[in-house]
Amino acid sequence: MLTKRPAEGKPDSPMHIPFTHLQAMLLFALIISLAFGTLGRRKPKERLKYAAWSFCLFIIVGVAIGWLMYPFSH
Amino acid sequence: MKMDEPVIEPSSVEPSPVQAAPAEPRTKENPELLAFLIAIAGWVVPGLGHALQKMWGRALAVFLAVGALVILGAAMRGNLFSSRGEDAFATLGYFADLGSGAFYLLARALETAGPDVSHSAGDYGTRFLATAGVLNLLSALHAYEAARGRKA
Repeated sequence: MLTKRPAEGKPDSPMHIPFTHLQAMLLFALIISLAFGTLGRRKPKERLKYAAWSFCLFIIVGVAIGWLMYPFSH
Repeated sequence: MKMDEPVIEPSSVEPSPVQAAPAEPRTKENPELLAFLIAIAGWVVPGLGHALQKMWGRALAVFLAVGALVILGAAMRGNLFSSRGEDAFATLGYFADLGSGAFYLLARALETAGPDVSHSAGDYGTRFLATAGVLNLLSALHAYEAARGRKA
């Protein structure tokens, strides 16, 4: 008996953004690091440096954890 | 008590300089209360706690960051927890989501089709929504510390 597959997204949804894993990670890291930079430092130059440093750490740690989990997915 | 001592009526005592000073607003007397109110304002409307202290850059950054996370989380059809959580994790998720203040209601309004966590995007959306709340709580705490005069 054929069963109907669950819908991937209701058509009446006002917006639906299907980000990939990498896109979601980059976007998340960008938004959070900008907020951290602005909240954590006072001078614009220091804010930018802190935000860039946070962004790099988010990406590096995210990719590292992804590779650490890779053996468990097989 | 000696009889020749003058009896001083309480009403004839001149007020001390402290008593004579005009009554100031309660918030001026109690900076702790003012800081608490600023923290509450920062929680209800993301960035308002900093805006009230004329920290415009931080206010704008918090407002945009929390707003972007909520809108993207809802657009990715993340799970927005309700108060009727089935387990402890759902309750924790509810508190995290509630941290975004008024934007929690915005996310509710945006997610008309309901969550869809059967795909990775929906699962990430759940994290975006929770992070928006926690970031806003962190920001409200930062505004509270700044209002108390701590280095911020």
